[in-house]
Amino acid sequence: MWWRSASFILDKQQNDAALKPDTISISPPPDATAHSSMADTFQNPNPNPKISAYYQTRAQHHGVVTSDWLSQAQAAIDQNPDDHGISADEVRVADPGKPFSVIDEFNNWRKQPDLAEAVAAIRALAAVIRSSKATTMMELEIELKKASDSLKSWDATSISLTAGCDLFMRYVTRTSALEYEDFNSARSRLIERAEKFGEISQKARRIIAMLSQDFIFDGCTILVHGFSRVVLEVLKLAAQNKKLFRVFCTEGRPDRTGLRLSNELAKLDVPVKLLIDSAVAYTMDEVDMVFVGADGVVESGGILNMMGTYQIALVAHSMNKPVYVAAESYKFARLYPLDQKDLAPALRPIDFGVPIPSKVEVEKSARDYTPPQYLTLLFTDLGVLTPSVVSDELIQLYL
Amino acid sequence: MPDVQSLVNDFLNQLKKRKIEGSQATAKQTAELLRSFISQHRVPYTNQAGALIDAVRTVGEQLIAANPVEVAVGNIVRRVLHIIREEDLSLATDAIAGMGLSAASDDEDDVERDDHPGLSAVAVAAAARSTLRPPSLQTLLEDVPDSAAIPQASSSGGDSEGKSRSVDKSSRGRKLKHDVIEAINELIQDIATCHEQIAEQAVEHIHQNEVILTLGSSRTVLEFLCAAKEKKRSFRVFVAEGAPRYQGHLLAKELVARGLQTTVITDSAVFAMISRVNMVIVGAHAVMANGGVIAPVGLNMVALAAQRHAVPFVVLAGSHKLCPLYPHNPEVLLNELRSPSELLDFGEFSDCMDYGSGSGSSLLHVINPTFDYVPPKLVSLFITDTGGHNSSYMYRLIADYYSADDLVVKGRHVTRC
Repeated sequence: MWWRSASFILDKQQNDAALKPDTISISPPPDATAHSSMADTFQNPNPNPKISAYYQTRAQHHGVVTSDWLSQAQAAIDQNPDDHGISADEVRVADPGKPFSVIDEFNNWRKQPDLAEAVAAIRALAAVIRSSKATTMMELEIELKKASDSLKSWDATSISLTAGCDLFMRYVTRTSALEYEDFNSARSRLIERAEKFGEISQKARRIIAMLSQDFIFDGCTILVHGFSRVVLEVLKLAAQNKKLFRVFCTEGRPDRTGLRLSNELAKLDVPVKLLIDSAVAYTMDEVDMVFVGADGVVESGGILNMMGTYQIALVAHSMNKPVYVAAESYKFARLYPLDQKDLAPALRPIDFGVPIPSKVEVEKSARDYTPPQYLTLLFTDLGVLTPSVVSDELIQLYL
Repeated sequence: MPDVQSLVNDFLNQLKKRKIEGSQATAKQTAELLRSFISQHRVPYTNQAGALIDAVRTVGEQLIAANPVEVAVGNIVRRVLHIIREEDLSLATDAIAGMGLSAASDDEDDVERDDHPGLSAVAVAAAARSTLRPPSLQTLLEDVPDSAAIPQASSSGGDSEGKSRSVDKSSRGRKLKHDVIEAINELIQDIATCHEQIAEQAVEHIHQNEVILTLGSSRTVLEFLCAAKEKKRSFRVFVAEGAPRYQGHLLAKELVARGLQTTVITDSAVFAMISRVNMVIVGAHAVMANGGVIAPVGLNMVALAAQRHAVPFVVLAGSHKLCPLYPHNPEVLLNELRSPSELLDFGEFSDCMDYGSGSGSSLLHVINPTFDYVPPKLVSLFITDTGGHNSSYMYRLIADYYSADDLVVKGRHVTRC
């Protein structure tokens, strides 16, 4: 596809240009001298691989923390916010006495391992409301808009962050339209609802787990890709309900999120088998259904999820196995990707274990897009949905 | 006065013994039974809708359990529950609107009694209305702790109004029941006339000199074809006989009686004939929420043949056949095995099926399933009484007819599906 490659060269040039003034250093921190092999690994064409912030959270929460690069990534988390915070954030003022910033707030929230990114975003926006000195709904809305824009531009790769911000902004607009009698009650209501959002998210997971129980029958084999809190909740509930099933976990290279899931399932006494990512097609004939989570559900009904979901869905489709997606409804995002490269890739470092020559390019994207025709059903807290319902729900909300 | 419980028991027996044929008859009788049940049910003065819903639910549970394969029963129970909720809501909205007016005119503290002091009456009504809709992204952030609370709150709001005028209360109770029964009558009417509404659309779909294939017999299909014939369309119909019950023969007879050019083929000849066919039109037993169809046995084969030759596969279904559940393992759980006598004569084969001889179990087995599951991707078009729809649109029709609460509550009882 000539047009694709041509535009890619352009994109690459732009990206490189954008990267130059950037000062994030992911290159080995001082203590990396101990791991000389790691230093070799980073002899990639791009000496400063830009790690997507979205990916850092995920790695932190979902990965089995064994690899060395992860510690680097974690170290980068502490640097990143400051680097970006000053440049992108207008809320932060030079005055050190009042150093409030949405992004800091968001970073604080998202460090909690059980909190979804959208919840952290909405909590951060609630903090904006609380610290705001606005006296009218309009002022507050403008302030929130600014904050959510800076939050969104801070990490453009996170779908659920964007979706969470949009959802909350929409709610604010609707609330002001709901004829609250005075500004203060509306304001306190907004804060209260935003703080409840954590509960909503927990409840959403429980609802999804309940809805999906009917689909897990005794004696079935479930293929799971990567680690997803919702999927874990589903399998947990099924195990509690004394369902007899076994789970195939993919390894989920390079961050090995599948290992984490298999550990958790082993704790629940669910029979688990680990597969390397390339063994999916080999084992598919034994599998009864594929269960995946989602980072984001887009308007077409397709999903954005960890790298490898697309190929698993393709294999499952060609072998006539159902692919079920468990995703909370606040992950519905107003995006319509037309192909894989249509979205800003979430980049991450990959440890190949051996030095990679600098001439060799490495595909570093952390996720892919699975088109809706390969998905059977979506389990959301709005109910069990066919992929085509997603756009309907989004249109209802944002139109 | 006939006892309601004995009526219910009679109906339960008929369902259990599979005495009622066809989903339309089942739907109609279920609706009629629930109508007489509601009209004879005594409702308490407070929280009438809640009491009525509970009562209908207990009966509905028994009815569904009596024949879980006949999903029309469950559909009608859910429709009636939805009707009760809707009627209660419209009454409550009227009451709240009245209350808001009276509050503005005489006493202000009436509004303070409400759950949400900051909200206007309009907002409360909007919140109550949103509970009827299925959960959506819009309501995700809104304060709906558990959906049962809002109808309660709204009806208690109505009660607080009734406290001042106790005469009003009993009349409101009678009004709720009256409205519900009125709405159920409408529902029964809809079920009875769904054939005509579907048949009205026939001319849009059947064109001159076309060849239509159908399998088995369905009254909806018969009416549909005849409606096109009456509009002076001339076309030919291939009827697959629909073994083992051979209802296709009956359909062919009816069609010929109405002057349609008809050809009877065996079921096994479907693939051979499909290349000459312009459109497959069939009836359904039930349509599931994902657009999958529970249909007479043999239809999956027809659908696959149609897909192979890119022939449109059209399913006719009245709205009482729309089931708000998703099929899990439908080939087994939403199916029924009928008597082997439909396939084999006992006289001739009784030796092979004798349990007494040899190892104690017979060597010959007969399996006679009633239904097929046709996956949604094989269906080109659904024609319901509200028009033609894609299979991915079924969920939207379902959202119109059923309220989300009833799915969850009933979900417990229909885990078999």
